[in-house]
Amino acid sequence: MDIFIQLVVNGLLLGGTLAIISVGLTLIFGIVRVVNFAHGEFLMVGMYAVYLLYKYSGMHPYVAVLPAIVILFIGGALMQRFIIQPLLSADPHIQIFATVGVSTALLNLALLVFGADVFSVKLNDVSSSTLKLGSLTVVSGQLITFCVSIVLMLLLNWFLHSTYLGRAVRATAQHRYAAQLMGVNVERIYIFAFGLGCACLGLASGLLLPQYPVFPTVGSFFVLTAFVIVVLGGLGSLSGAFLGSMIIGLVDSLAGYYIAPDLKEVVYFLIFIGILIVRPTGLLGLGRGSE
Amino acid sequence: MNILNPRVYVTLIAMALLLVVPVASDSPFIYHIFVLLCLFAALSTAWNIVGGFAGQLSLGHAVFYGIGSYAAVLLMMRFGISPWIGMIVGALISILVSVIISYPCFRLRGPFFALATIAVLEVIRLVAINQTGLTGGAAGLAPPLKRGLEWMMVREKWVYLLIAFGFLVLTLLVSQIIKNSRLGYYLVAVREREDAALAVGVNSVKVKIIAVMVSAALTSAVGSFHAMYLGFIDPGSAFSLELSIQVAMFALIGGLGTVFGPLVGTVLVLPIAELARGWLSDFGNGFHGLVYGVVLVVVVLTIPKGIVGRFGPAFGRWVDSLPGGRRQETVAAVSAALPKAPASPTQGKPILVANDLNLYFGGLHATNNVSLSLQEGEILGVIGPNGAGKTTVFNQLSGFLRPNSGEIKVRLVDGSWVSPTNPVEFAKAGIGRTFQIAQPFADLTVMENIMLGAFMNTRSPAEASKIARQVAQLTDLTSMLETRAKNLTVGGMKRLEMARALATKPRVLLLDEVLAGLNPADVSKAIEIIRRVRDSGVSVLMIEHIMQAVMELSDRVVVINSGSVLKEGAPREVVSDPRVIEAYLGKEYSHA
Repeated sequence: MDIFIQLVVNGLLLGGTLAIISVGLTLIFGIVRVVNFAHGEFLMVGMYAVYLLYKYSGMHPYVAVLPAIVILFIGGALMQRFIIQPLLSADPHIQIFATVGVSTALLNLALLVFGADVFSVKLNDVSSSTLKLGSLTVVSGQLITFCVSIVLMLLLNWFLHSTYLGRAVRATAQHRYAAQLMGVNVERIYIFAFGLGCACLGLASGLLLPQYPVFPTVGSFFVLTAFVIVVLGGLGSLSGAFLGSMIIGLVDSLAGYYIAPDLKEVVYFLIFIGILIVRPTGLLGLGRGSE
Repeated sequence: MNILNPRVYVTLIAMALLLVVPVASDSPFIYHIFVLLCLFAALSTAWNIVGGFAGQLSLGHAVFYGIGSYAAVLLMMRFGISPWIGMIVGALISILVSVIISYPCFRLRGPFFALATIAVLEVIRLVAINQTGLTGGAAGLAPPLKRGLEWMMVREKWVYLLIAFGFLVLTLLVSQIIKNSRLGYYLVAVREREDAALAVGVNSVKVKIIAVMVSAALTSAVGSFHAMYLGFIDPGSAFSLELSIQVAMFALIGGLGTVFGPLVGTVLVLPIAELARGWLSDFGNGFHGLVYGVVLVVVVLTIPKGIVGRFGPAFGRWVDSLPGGRRQETVAAVSAALPKAPASPTQGKPILVANDLNLYFGGLHATNNVSLSLQEGEILGVIGPNGAGKTTVFNQLSGFLRPNSGEIKVRLVDGSWVSPTNPVEFAKAGIGRTFQIAQPFADLTVMENIMLGAFMNTRSPAEASKIARQVAQLTDLTSMLETRAKNLTVGGMKRLEMARALATKPRVLLLDEVLAGLNPADVSKAIEIIRRVRDSGVSVLMIEHIMQAVMELSDRVVVINSGSVLKEGAPREVVSDPRVIEAYLGKEYSHA
């Protein structure tokens, strides 16, 4: 029983990490209607940025979150403005090609600059210590990440529902042309939304670095899981992405122990195919996934 | 095939260069590059069948390539089976896997297929790495060295080149055949506009699955050969995302959905990248990948149609101007008049019957106990105020919506009755329909649009184009046959809607406001067309707001208001009914 509870806790904590990444992905899809296949590479860029800041200025990764957010917001905004925006009325698969191109370019750029080496940050502080709660062991850095993911969800929710800009974003997501008629500058909203989705990754990269090493393909490691999560939760649904992250976190932890560690990806995939067959709009999707 | 046609001889010369250059150079490196060229062009051409023709973006095609590689190598190592047989086994497994991946995705619209392919690729790669007992794990496998053509291992480089070239020719031929067949037209139709494709009887899921099966089998076969050529496989390079993206990228650069685009893309990009890999390796790992990524983004932003899509037509004109070039074909005029149908013995008997239809949209009772029947040979007008639920009834009569209760049945030619349940079955039962908001296949010509309808009764493109010309004559579209549908006027699009439905040779035609938005001259033209259609033996049910047309054309009129039938009868009788006037104009006018 102790093991089971420990596994559940581990799963939920992992879910928190995945949630920050998935929320960014689903935000971009829900608003701009583009699947950002470069999402993982943006995460990788963020992690390298945090790593460099730590290495050369001694900045703690948790502090480096702030510059990382700014860098990734700008990166995402630039990508939207100069690559996606000219393709807004093109075929969806042309847009996918564009993001795949960016992904390939960034990944190889990292390989060129940093090589295939694995860099990690070793800290002996709150980000990597372990807490004992009865028979449970928890890495405090993961607990912090989990709490941050909940705060992020609440903040995004408040922002989207209670501010003018947030309402404009939702209006744009629901109907591009109608929002335009209401005086919303749709192109600017898209730029903002893409930046916001990527900024989530800036947050994630600072929180991840004390626990995970950085290397050029680190992004695909997380983002392929994020794809599954986002479809599971319903493409474009924020709360769906959060719920999906928790489910996949649990599946990862439980399947890794009870089935076999090397088959847990197969379990993800079965969930993915299952959800497409049974409920393609996802758990909390509003039917937009089928658009 | 006429060898004197420049399109034929230019193609042959260009293809021959793929063999002549390496043989003339006699350098092992050049041989290697050309083998790679042929293989990657073959992979890219195979990818294009699903990625280009069907418009379903696969980012995990290496799955099929890897299955082919492993099938050939494992069967040879474990059971001493020739890789040629392993190739076939691999292709069969790939077909199975492709159906498992694509069936759930193809029923949906959205980026699901791209996501699913990438996810499957990742899963299979991890499984291949972890199942060390079967696959040798990350360390990879090397097939035992056995010389001989039956083992796909020979000393002479030119044999490899010939086989690789053979694979390329095979994929190009398959691609060419598909493109010019009914399947090719259907794939484009589904890619362009799925609803309209359903209305002309295209089973969209089925045609997409056929495309992915063909593509997977070809990809897998090339994978088998490539594995034997390399003499080594490992999960990282057999199930590689990079390979999948490269193959898709060559097709994009060359031109999605064109037959020769993938070959052109490969020939342009692959040698540069291979040379760069050699020369620029000093810059470090990843340089050629960076180049690939940047090229991909630049191409997407500047020539999204690809080289063949962008420059192909001009090049084609230049080729045609070479000696022996084809002269403008003259098309024999076809007779316009549809034959007057001989009086049918079942004339006046019901042909389409709806009983007690009910449909709810949430709390809204959109169709309330509607029953109506269409008699063979009549024109039945359906009128009613805006929002009355006419189009909703209409969508049920063509299978686009399913009623919550009630039945719809159609009488077939042999006198039996069927109750279709989806748009394709309705179309096959002889119900043609138009859409209120015209749904042309925008990027296709008028000719191709009408042919798509005609394909319901014939497999042959030549036959379909003959039917298309006839229908075009009938609907006054002959002068616009080569115009792209998106450039038509509103009147033209409405006539195209009708033409496409007529080309399916329906026995019942459902017209949804085909006259709305037309100018008076076009309206009288359309009225004339509808009458001619009826005289050719087609029963017509039309929703219309233009009373002039309803009064002139209809034998009977049904009035729908608030989801239920308000009145049914002869046109004169219906329009003078006070309840009908009230429904349209309000209570105070009902005594006017």
